[in-house]
Amino acid sequence: MTNLSRRDFLKLARAGFLWLSGALTLGGLIRFLDFEPNPAPKTEFDLGPAANYPLPSRTLLADPPAVLWHTESGFSAMSLACTHLGCTLEDGADGFTCPCHASRFDADGRVTHGPAAQPLSALRIEMTDDNNLILHTD
Amino acid sequence: MRPSFFHHLHPPTIPAAQARWRYTLGAGGTAIFLMIILGVTGILEMFYYAPNPQDAALSVQTITYHVPLGWLVRNLHYWSAQLLLIVSAIHLLRVIFTAAYHRPRRFNYLLGLALFVLSILLDFTGYILRWDMDICWPLTTGTNLLKTIPWIGNFLFRVAIGGGEACSTALLRFYTWHIFGLTILVVILGFWHAFRVRRDGGIAVPPARLRADNTRISRNELVRREVLAVLIVGILLLLLSSFFPAPIAPAMTGKPSAVENARAPWFFLWVQQMLTWGDPFIFGVLIPLGVLALLTLIPYIFPKPNEAEIGSWFPKSNRLAQIVVSVIVILVIFLTLLSYAN
Ligand code: FES
Repeated sequence: MTNLSRRDFLKLARAGFLWLSGALTLGGLIRFLDFEPNPAPKTEFDLGPAANYPLPSRTLLADPPAVLWHTESGFSAMSLACTHLGCTLEDGADGFTCPCHASRFDADGRVTHGPAAQPLSALRIEMTDDNNLILHTD
Repeated sequence: MRPSFFHHLHPPTIPAAQARWRYTLGAGGTAIFLMIILGVTGILEMFYYAPNPQDAALSVQTITYHVPLGWLVRNLHYWSAQLLLIVSAIHLLRVIFTAAYHRPRRFNYLLGLALFVLSILLDFTGYILRWDMDICWPLTTGTNLLKTIPWIGNFLFRVAIGGGEACSTALLRFYTWHIFGLTILVVILGFWHAFRVRRDGGIAVPPARLRADNTRISRNELVRREVLAVLIVGILLLLLSSFFPAPIAPAMTGKPSAVENARAPWFFLWVQQMLTWGDPFIFGVLIPLGVLALLTLIPYIFPKPNEAEIGSWFPKSNRLAQIVVSVIVILVIFLTLLSYAN
């Protein structure tokens, strides 16, 4: 255990310290950049009085992109954000088309043409005590 | 005379073979000239550009429509950036098709490739800075692509946009990368790349004993040719900037509707086209990275070119690399055209 000379020890220590400070800097940089200063995207949207959406009706919402139905069985909503990479779908006669990579969905949100693999997601609708509609995207 | 970086790049004489237009195509030098224009016009734009989501698009309109000669500054910046990608691609192809990437120039090949990738990233971040209706979908799909990467995807996404939703918040991070992060890397690697050209023995030509023509040209002649290239490219830039204005669209107010332009910038159209085929991670991340990996590995995996053939077009000993790269180029061009056709 005595064959590590003083000079070699210092060399080793120096290399160790250099690598260590490099790794610490990198780790610190990653943590620094990983902070999210911006507020998380909204998940609750006030759609106004339910009376604005008579029975029966089908309304296209712009923000968030969604379609809102009012039928015999109540209110329901479906997101119009493409499940491929998130572009807003275009409403057409036979369903929805994505302007970005041409995915297609039928009127119920099922994929009829790729590249999207997942169906459109249903969104939760809540009715407040004073008959306002709240749309939840989470 | 005291030696300077200029003299390092311009020795008293160089072999005539290193400075023939039909061999170098002037591509590397032109790229340096374009980068200088980009630096100068970019700094000028910073005097008016407002890097926050509310004002960004309006400040671009101010530069374009109100500031005296602002349109010229912006158009020059735009056209230099587009030409830089084309000229860099030509430069890269010249190096591959003349087998110039082999040792001792292998390291400089890698530096050049890194510069090419950085130029693409700079072009994309700069495009995002317009912050108008047209950039939302390319920004959304581009950053959502990051999320598809296993393990680190969500982390990369957070780092890229700083949380929130891409089209409402990502601007400041893209601005900082564009103005500082990527630019400082390009400046450092760019100087290194130019320095290594001379260090590695100048532009690749066969060694003196194997060269048919051993004439040399003087520093003055080299500078004369460079000035000529600068004049030609300068005139081309002015013409493009005068007659073909850089794209601009109405300011982004909330999410644009579905019918708004969903086309990626032209240099990513081939990726957008591939994305219509299926799994976004494979077609949007793995394949583009695979192309980059292949280009990186060219000096390592293909047979070593014959020394006597280095520095001439399409050497026989380099066929395999030429074929592989040609196929890639043709596919990329084909996919791009296909995307325009749709
Ligand atoms: S984002 Fe809709 S198809 Fe790609």
